[in-house]
Amino acid sequence: MAARGQKAIDPDGGYYTDIIRVFCFAPDSASFLAVESFFTRYRNLVVLAAVLVVQIMGLAIQVRRFGSGRNSLDVRDGSGVRLIRLWAEAVVSPFERGIHGTGQGAFWLWNNYADLRNVRQQNQQLKQTIDRLRLEQAALLEDARQGERLQALLNFQQKYIYSTLAAQVIGSSGSELSHVFYIDKGENYKLKPDMAVITGNGIVGKVRDVFPRTAQVLAINDQTSGAGVILQTTRIRGILRGDPSGRLMVVGVLSDERIQPGEAVLTAGGDLIFPRGLPVGVVDKVVPDPVHDGFIDIMVKPAAHLDRLDEVMVITSTQPRFNEQEQKDIDTSQAEKGADAQAIQNQIRDQLKASQIMAEHLPGLMVPNLPPDQQPLNDTSNPPLVTPPPQALHPDRFTPGNAPGPPGDASGTTSPVTTSPGEQQKQPKPAPAPKAPPQGNP
Amino acid sequence: MKLLGADDRRDMEIHRYPLLVYALVPLAALVLQAWLPRVLGRYAFFDLPLVVTIYFALGRRSPIQGTLMGAAMGLFEDALTHHAIGVNGVAKTAVGFIAASTGIRIDVENHAIRVILNFVLSLLSSAIYYAVSRGMLGLDLEWNWFTQLFIAIGNAAIALVLFPFLDRLQIRD
Repeated sequence: MAARGQKAIDPDGGYYTDIIRVFCFAPDSASFLAVESFFTRYRNLVVLAAVLVVQIMGLAIQVRRFGSGRNSLDVRDGSGVRLIRLWAEAVVSPFERGIHGTGQGAFWLWNNYADLRNVRQQNQQLKQTIDRLRLEQAALLEDARQGERLQALLNFQQKYIYSTLAAQVIGSSGSELSHVFYIDKGENYKLKPDMAVITGNGIVGKVRDVFPRTAQVLAINDQTSGAGVILQTTRIRGILRGDPSGRLMVVGVLSDERIQPGEAVLTAGGDLIFPRGLPVGVVDKVVPDPVHDGFIDIMVKPAAHLDRLDEVMVITSTQPRFNEQEQKDIDTSQAEKGADAQAIQNQIRDQLKASQIMAEHLPGLMVPNLPPDQQPLNDTSNPPLVTPPPQALHPDRFTPGNAPGPPGDASGTTSPVTTSPGEQQKQPKPAPAPKAPPQGNP
Repeated sequence: MKLLGADDRRDMEIHRYPLLVYALVPLAALVLQAWLPRVLGRYAFFDLPLVVTIYFALGRRSPIQGTLMGAAMGLFEDALTHHAIGVNGVAKTAVGFIAASTGIRIDVENHAIRVILNFVLSLLSSAIYYAVSRGMLGLDLEWNWFTQLFIAIGNAAIALVLFPFLDRLQIRD
């Protein structure tokens, strides 16, 4: 046994410099020597076990068992866990900001120099584009307002994007099993968890955790992610999530032959995170669900480049009506392009009026004031309409109705169709049959 | 592979580094691990903190230092994800301990042995991660072994380049 402070060789082969005497045993007691011998001999294993036990206890605190028997992590981190994440982020993010800022600076310098050569021409093109878009905006204004009125009638709260905040992606989790990334805006920009993160191409993810100067975003292709989506054409709904390889898939869909590759996938709006109608991607292929019979997994090609994200937008607020900026744009459009827009609106109004007049003059199959089950088209109480046969200009005995009847038929006519007295009165009387020439005359 | 006896072990050189290297190399590994996937996208098949843990564990030949370093690196990696903190910590703690214990018994100056060790220990780390997540915690985690295989290959390739570079930083008597 080595003395205190003496260098010794570990029986396992390693070196150590000092034997640390702990516990409250007397230095010369036999029990102390036994414990010291044990810790000396198995010091490496004891340290390993202690470190592992501490970590496992920490894991046990973070995992919760649900009633269904499945375990899951808490959606929101506890204060201790969040503190560790905060420290880690505080250590890493300044370096990430530095690397990102340096790269962006060099890119900005070079890009601006190159762009300045064509900026005048681009400015002209952009002005023309703005003029055209203002005209289109004014033309679409009425439709949008009408849509709002209809939604109000249906008591449906459509969420429009009210305001967004541009942010730069500065880092990732570094693990292929955790598809999260960090953006350079946090509590200092009043970001909150569960805010939707998008790009111009489509949705990207949602804010999971917010730190003082950064925020952690959970990408939509993570296994634990989830978003309500709807297929644009077939209107089939499902849940969007990621697979272990980071690919997007829609799960929980019953097998349906109508789903074809190329169909657009949009947000359904039911998850209270992503506004309705934002692009998600397109259907790549359909594969059977390996677990559930009769269900399929729809592999989705994302609209946004999830692997190469540089700039994203955080939807900081949604609003059921036009916001101030949009209203200002609309007013500007109407003021500047009022005449053109008015002409378009007048043209649309004239077309609508013409179609209404035509509808009034045409025999209507649909009466606007009647419910659908009482429409004339569906009304079975009326007798079927009978079209009278065309009348001959010069009736003779071959004309329908003038043929001689069977013996005993005094009228000498057949009347297969029942007509109302009025109709009989309206029907022109058949011309008298030409008299037969006298026979037997010399 | 040469097995060492007790006398050989006593004479074996322990790699020593400036304090700055102990601080900056792991930090650089963590920062690059967090930043490079943003540039490389889905082709970021490597785990730099694990490579650095293995390197220092093999060089220092101290199971306790390997254990503590693996735990620190793993916990740090976990903290940057949205998963439970400790899963990577347990895996890298075990790997650090095993790497240091292996370094005592095996001549790890050979590049080929280092590469093979990195490959094997990377797979072992993945296996422990999987076992802890699924077996111990019962989390619903889907797993792709091909990805882990690619990561092990990537780690071995990085070790081939990084280890000789880090060897130059050690203090020589």
